[in-house]
Amino acid sequence: MPRLNAQVKLKSILRDYYENLEAPLAWCTSAGPAEILRAMGFDVYFPENHGALLGASRKALKYIPRAHQAGYAGEICSYLTADIGAWLMHETPLTEAYGLPSIPRPDLIVFNTNQCREVAEWFNFFGEEFDCPVVGVFPPRHLEEVTRADIDQVVAQFRNVIAVGEEVIGKPLDPERLKETLRLSLEGTTLWKKVLETARNVPSPLTFFDGTILMAPVVVLRGTQVCVDFYREALAELEELAARDVAAVPGEQVRLYWEGMPIWGRLRFMADLFVEQRACVVASTYCNSWVFDDFDPDDPLPSMAAAYTKIFINRGEMTKLEYLRRMVEEYRVDGIIFHDSKTCFNNTNSRFGLPRKLQEATGIETLSIDGDLNDLRFFSDGQTRTRLETFIEQLTMKSMSM
Amino acid sequence: MTHDKSTYYLGADLGSSFTKFVVIDDNGNMHFRRTIPTLSRHRELQSQTVAEIHERFPVAATCATGYGRQKFECDLRKTELICASAGVSHLHPVEKSIIDIGGEDIKIIESGPGGEVRHFYMNDKCSAGTGAFITEIAERAELEIAEMSDLARTSQSSRVINSFCTVFAKTEILGWKFDNVPIEDISRGIYLSIVKRIIKLPMRSDLPVLMCGGVVAFHPYLRDLLAGELQTEVQVVEDPQYAVALGAALLAQRSFATSMSEN
Ligand code: SF4
Repeated sequence: MPRLNAQVKLKSILRDYYENLEAPLAWCTSAGPAEILRAMGFDVYFPENHGALLGASRKALKYIPRAHQAGYAGEICSYLTADIGAWLMHETPLTEAYGLPSIPRPDLIVFNTNQCREVAEWFNFFGEEFDCPVVGVFPPRHLEEVTRADIDQVVAQFRNVIAVGEEVIGKPLDPERLKETLRLSLEGTTLWKKVLETARNVPSPLTFFDGTILMAPVVVLRGTQVCVDFYREALAELEELAARDVAAVPGEQVRLYWEGMPIWGRLRFMADLFVEQRACVVASTYCNSWVFDDFDPDDPLPSMAAAYTKIFINRGEMTKLEYLRRMVEEYRVDGIIFHDSKTCFNNTNSRFGLPRKLQEATGIETLSIDGDLNDLRFFSDGQTRTRLETFIEQLTMKSMSM
Repeated sequence: MTHDKSTYYLGADLGSSFTKFVVIDDNGNMHFRRTIPTLSRHRELQSQTVAEIHERFPVAATCATGYGRQKFECDLRKTELICASAGVSHLHPVEKSIIDIGGEDIKIIESGPGGEVRHFYMNDKCSAGTGAFITEIAERAELEIAEMSDLARTSQSSRVINSFCTVFAKTEILGWKFDNVPIEDISRGIYLSIVKRIIKLPMRSDLPVLMCGGVVAFHPYLRDLLAGELQTEVQVVEDPQYAVALGAALLAQRSFATSMSEN
């Protein structure tokens, strides 16, 4: 039985979403310009959500080897390998979950390499499979500061997305509809941020693992009223729990931050492990990646360009350090777990010395664990348990001695 | 039962290769210790040993540690790192760096005088540099494990195995064999490659460095080499292969004492 009403509600929302996906349909990366596509009249499908489903349903390992046979290496994005493998085997978890015969056919494919170049390879593969137009947005990468010139460059590329989209759909984009979509998107993302912020309460009513489930609408339904309504209700529920100090992890003793991708096939294992240790993962970079403060309905394209270029994964090390320092403070975190995700170099931040720099700057303890978003061959239950239990005990002893 | 007046505590360290049992009394004195293979076909041996311990000692609390701890019936489960820190601190109640080389991993622990884990590092992605690594390479090099330390001591060679991967390392050793590299140099080379790996791990060598774990018990030359490379004194704790099980027994005792005082 889910702990939160929002989790129950979510099931029917996702069912409606998947069952009603219709042509004209566009595919989009999770931090791509979905609002433009929606405003043009496309239904929008997100392959990354499918990738996460493949992981969470533990089907990924069945499909990944098929992608290897097709020439995709074991060390590259396991969303990509799981998704392409499933396609080549003519299967999808959407059949069992929602009765869809296959993943929905795209009329247009749009990606943004603000997160990684892997999406270009991934989406281009499907462009060929479906013989469908593919448009890429290639913003400047790994920025400390995002300048006017950077934004102008991205706006120009968004215009290109619009031009191709208009050709596919056969009518021009209505600027008013774009404003309205962005207004809904802003409202949805703002409510999502507030949902996450309920975890600032001590004890937290919410864990990172709840967040990875509750985030689905801000990814796949951003820019719709459904998304706004969902988070409004979820927020009311969580605020009420926070007001009564209801803890997501009973007896919360240690508060942690999760940096990196979720390990989709082991969410339950990890969530249980933290409960056992009375440790709550209260915040994460991942869940916060769909907070887009910059959206401005009165200035749609530049504000979207700013928001989508400023995402954490697209920033330089100094900006990342500052961001994590702020999160540690705001969420009163005792320690940070860096997930070294073997097939997602882009969402792994422990390899250029960031944990040590953060430790030196803030005194916060950090731990790096090996794993992967989807490929569980890179993950060991036993080794992860040993590291996490030791780390939590280390933090407990530290707080007792202070 | 032979000892029915005192209270006893059992520590069980269920490692990847061997399971170690230690029984202590309230003063931390060791009354029993035994090592058995962990492999599943020896399950019976494990239950027989546990039965024997309970037969001989009125055990008040048991703590299990090691990769097999989740499956062992006990009052308390703690990780090997926490137990190593507790066990070594019982013998050396100072601030220190602990190096625990086990069958399948290397652990570095910065440990406080009372056994608190301040920082730790685990190298467990592959077996390179661990007990399993030595066994496999030694087998390929046709070396007797028991003789390796003495052989290595007689060598001055600075040859090392370069590969991180055990499979590649075995190929390298094959090359050495073809080149007729003397077995003394091969022995030293195996140890040197492990030591070179260890000194790159994040560790404070301004603190006393103490080694524990089964590997150093059987390969004492590792200590000498490490001391040389670190240019500091390195000590091997007494009965290094039992340090973790001892720590587990001590934690069982502490937790029992806490629960008694709470009641
Ligand atoms: S960010 Fe990582 S997980 Fe996401 S698509 Fe790119 S490589 Fe894959």
